Amino acid sequence: MKPFDIVIVGGGGAGLYAAMEAMKTNPALNIAVLSKVYPNRSHTSAAQGGANAALGNKAKDDTVEMHIFDTIKGSDYLADQDAVDVLCSEAPKIIRELENMGTPWSRMEDNTIAQRPFGGAGRPRCCYCSDKTGHTILQTLYEQCLKKGVIFFNEYFALNLSVGGSRSNGLIAMNMKTGKVEAFPAKTVILATGGYAKMYWNRSSNAAGNTGDGQAIAYRAGIPLKDMEFVQFHPTGLRKSGLLVTEGARGEGGYLLNKDGERFMSRYAPEKMELGPRDLVSRSLETEILQGRGFDSPAGKYLHLDLTHLGADLIKSRLPQIREMAMNFEGVDPIEEPIPVRPTAHYSMGGIDTDNQTRTVMEGVYAAGECGCVSVHGANRLGGNSLLDILVFGRIAGRTAAEEAGKFTPGRISEAELAAQFEEIRGGMHPSGRYERYGELREELGQTLALNVGIFRESSLLQKGISDIAELKERFKKVRISDSSDVFNTNLMQVLELKNMLDLAETVAAGAYARQESRGSHTRIDFPVRDDANWHKHTLATLVKGNVTLGEKPVTMGRYELQERTY
Amino acid sequence: MTVSTDQHKEGKKEVTFRVFRFNPQVDSKPYFDDYTIPVERGVTVLRSLNYIKEHIDGSVSFRAFCQAGICGSCGMRVNGLSQLACTTQVWDVLAKSREPGIIKVEPLRNLPLIKDLIVDMDPLVGKMVHYSNWIDSTMPEAQMGKKEFLISEEEFLRYDKATDCILCASCVSECSILRANKEYVSPAVLLKSYRMSVDSRDSMHETRLAELVKDHGVWDCTHCYRCQESCVKSIPIMDAIHGLREDAIESRGKNDTSGSKHAEAFMTDIEKKGKLVEATLPIRTNGVVWTVQNLLPMAMKMIMKRRTPPPPPLVKSVKGIKIFRTMFREMTEHVKQDHKSHKK
Repeated sequence: MKPFDIVIVGGGGAGLYAAMEAMKTNPALNIAVLSKVYPNRSHTSAAQGGANAALGNKAKDDTVEMHIFDTIKGSDYLADQDAVDVLCSEAPKIIRELENMGTPWSRMEDNTIAQRPFGGAGRPRCCYCSDKTGHTILQTLYEQCLKKGVIFFNEYFALNLSVGGSRSNGLIAMNMKTGKVEAFPAKTVILATGGYAKMYWNRSSNAAGNTGDGQAIAYRAGIPLKDMEFVQFHPTGLRKSGLLVTEGARGEGGYLLNKDGERFMSRYAPEKMELGPRDLVSRSLETEILQGRGFDSPAGKYLHLDLTHLGADLIKSRLPQIREMAMNFEGVDPIEEPIPVRPTAHYSMGGIDTDNQTRTVMEGVYAAGECGCVSVHGANRLGGNSLLDILVFGRIAGRTAAEEAGKFTPGRISEAELAAQFEEIRGGMHPSGRYERYGELREELGQTLALNVGIFRESSLLQKGISDIAELKERFKKVRISDSSDVFNTNLMQVLELKNMLDLAETVAAGAYARQESRGSHTRIDFPVRDDANWHKHTLATLVKGNVTLGEKPVTMGRYELQERTY
Repeated sequence: MTVSTDQHKEGKKEVTFRVFRFNPQVDSKPYFDDYTIPVERGVTVLRSLNYIKEHIDGSVSFRAFCQAGICGSCGMRVNGLSQLACTTQVWDVLAKSREPGIIKVEPLRNLPLIKDLIVDMDPLVGKMVHYSNWIDSTMPEAQMGKKEFLISEEEFLRYDKATDCILCASCVSECSILRANKEYVSPAVLLKSYRMSVDSRDSMHETRLAELVKDHGVWDCTHCYRCQESCVKSIPIMDAIHGLREDAIESRGKNDTSGSKHAEAFMTDIEKKGKLVEATLPIRTNGVVWTVQNLLPMAMKMIMKRRTPPPPPLVKSVKGIKIFRTMFREMTEHVKQDHKSHKK
């Protein structure tokens, strides 16, 4: 195949924005987007709540500076302040840009883009389209990419970077329709494959495919991963499936109640109540459950998210998806009854270590969106900042790669390397005798992570988690693929996704064990306070000779000094 | 308050999933495999398929991603009806199943089959491109990001429902025109076209419409409403199709295409007589030459079988035609007004 100037892996918000911006920056470039699903299926579509931008449409006194401060405080001061500057300053422009391209934002009475309150934000600055914001943004970007004639390789599963010395020659991927392993030689590669929170499996709100493929690819290529221990638990996952009830439900005025009918958030965040930041609200729910104030059910303990007082009209017009999901997956109509909820792994703050221009340590390799870690979310991401992140840094990645592609010579990927890749994924996975089922390993991985590397962490739990993961990796060697077909072998794909999750789970547990403090989403029962003297820094996890090796990186400070984080 | 959350304790049912199988590498034609598993209340078809894949037969192939009814990956036919496996409850399907205890799972229709329950979505994407299913903004690219368009709630509501579409292709699978003509534009693409055309930010309304009125386009729909009935997001797709047709007549005139002429002939007949004058309908729609060339053999056959429609002078007006005409004119006036206010 003819070498590409840019190969973008992932067709969600970050990948599509990158493609669009790269074409805009230099229309002569040869750009490809690879995605393991049709781009419009990407998990960006599941983002319900909205995207933050200090437009000042709702609260006239809102400013970019306030957005910056809220984000830094929300991150528990682990975000890099120069990166947050970029995120928040670009926000109004990028939201308007999307609007100009056709995103159907909900509207205020004066016909400007509507905004609503969101957790951890000092002003109502979350722009939305009812509760399908991510879906409509993704549609807009996909439509615009089709308009621009972006070349898509849909249903290609990315396997590895081809590495030559200090740089990459491009990407190796499996064509799902044929089972062939194909080379994508490229001057630059942008990894934008989304997050890794699906490793918590049934205790995760994520799509089945959010298995951290891009992070695992980078990790195997020797690129460090940053702050992997920070996994955000969303306070309100549906009890049975882990699926998400948007923060918008609380933004619109929903109550969290325990089994005594008490609005328990008054104990944890008396001022912000239900609209406290996610990590705090999740811990509050978990504490209520641990202290016996939750409801009991065979599917586990849970609490109530009560919307009944909001009335049928508001629920139908502002939260229709939530109503549909509650009815489909819990059998509950939120107009009449409270929704059973409990915290669910939702977002990965950690990811591939990049600079503010999305560059990784490997020349010509960039990462953006949830796949990358700039870091703008630090130890805890604010609601409404993830859509913003993928847009802003997706665009930067596209621009940077387009500008820098000329610096690099196109890479070459040999037939021998492809053959070796093919042998690795297809040859070794038909063990005779006793074998392991990937479905069981996957479920066990989710369980041990939720129990031992979950909301509340502690030394002995983490040790248990680490040894469980090691054991699962060992058992994975005996995993069997029962589908021998070349055509659309989803069995093989799921096994490869499990491999990625196992690799990354190790880095999450290792980071969590090392970080002897509590900060943002990372709560250590044995180290309950934030320890700025020793731990105000990023962790870096690098694969060295098959083992996780931890390093560190300083946090970039700016106008805001360290403060205690209260709400 | 919740009375009981233990609904799923209510026991299990043995359910046989009769799954469509086809692997192009080894099978010359498709067949069905039966998998019988116990299913509790509250379990979806997708969860059942996942169970079968993980525990019984890893080679059963289907797409699934978000598993929450948002991404549109798992469209398939369950007991003959196209829907999302992830939002379809097994017990609900069972209650309406013709064969007790059996649920038949097949791939979507009208798209090329790849393997088992997986069909090729490329033709649909190709049509989205062909019919410019995007906003071509009136704002020049260089100006973007500087200021918002001001858009009324009223305009937003015009395309709000249409933007719910997740391209699951259930409507494509159910469409009766597509079964006969794979080149037909498709309901989902008409819906998206409509969504773009009522957006005041869009600048290529007329160009898009010019493509839509051609063969295989908006006039080919026969109003069977199956798209709308099967829409997993309950989107009124037919409203969009009607909207596009009204647009076409308004901006391109009544004599634009055979489609618009056909619609106009209906209007004239209904206003005049309260029913159709079928004998001359083909001539008024497609002209004399076309009718002679294409319909003569059929006309002969109809004469032989004495099934010809009555000649125009013999078509009598329906009873109460005067009141009907008043109502008819009032209605058309309403539609015109409605259309004008949309254009603003």
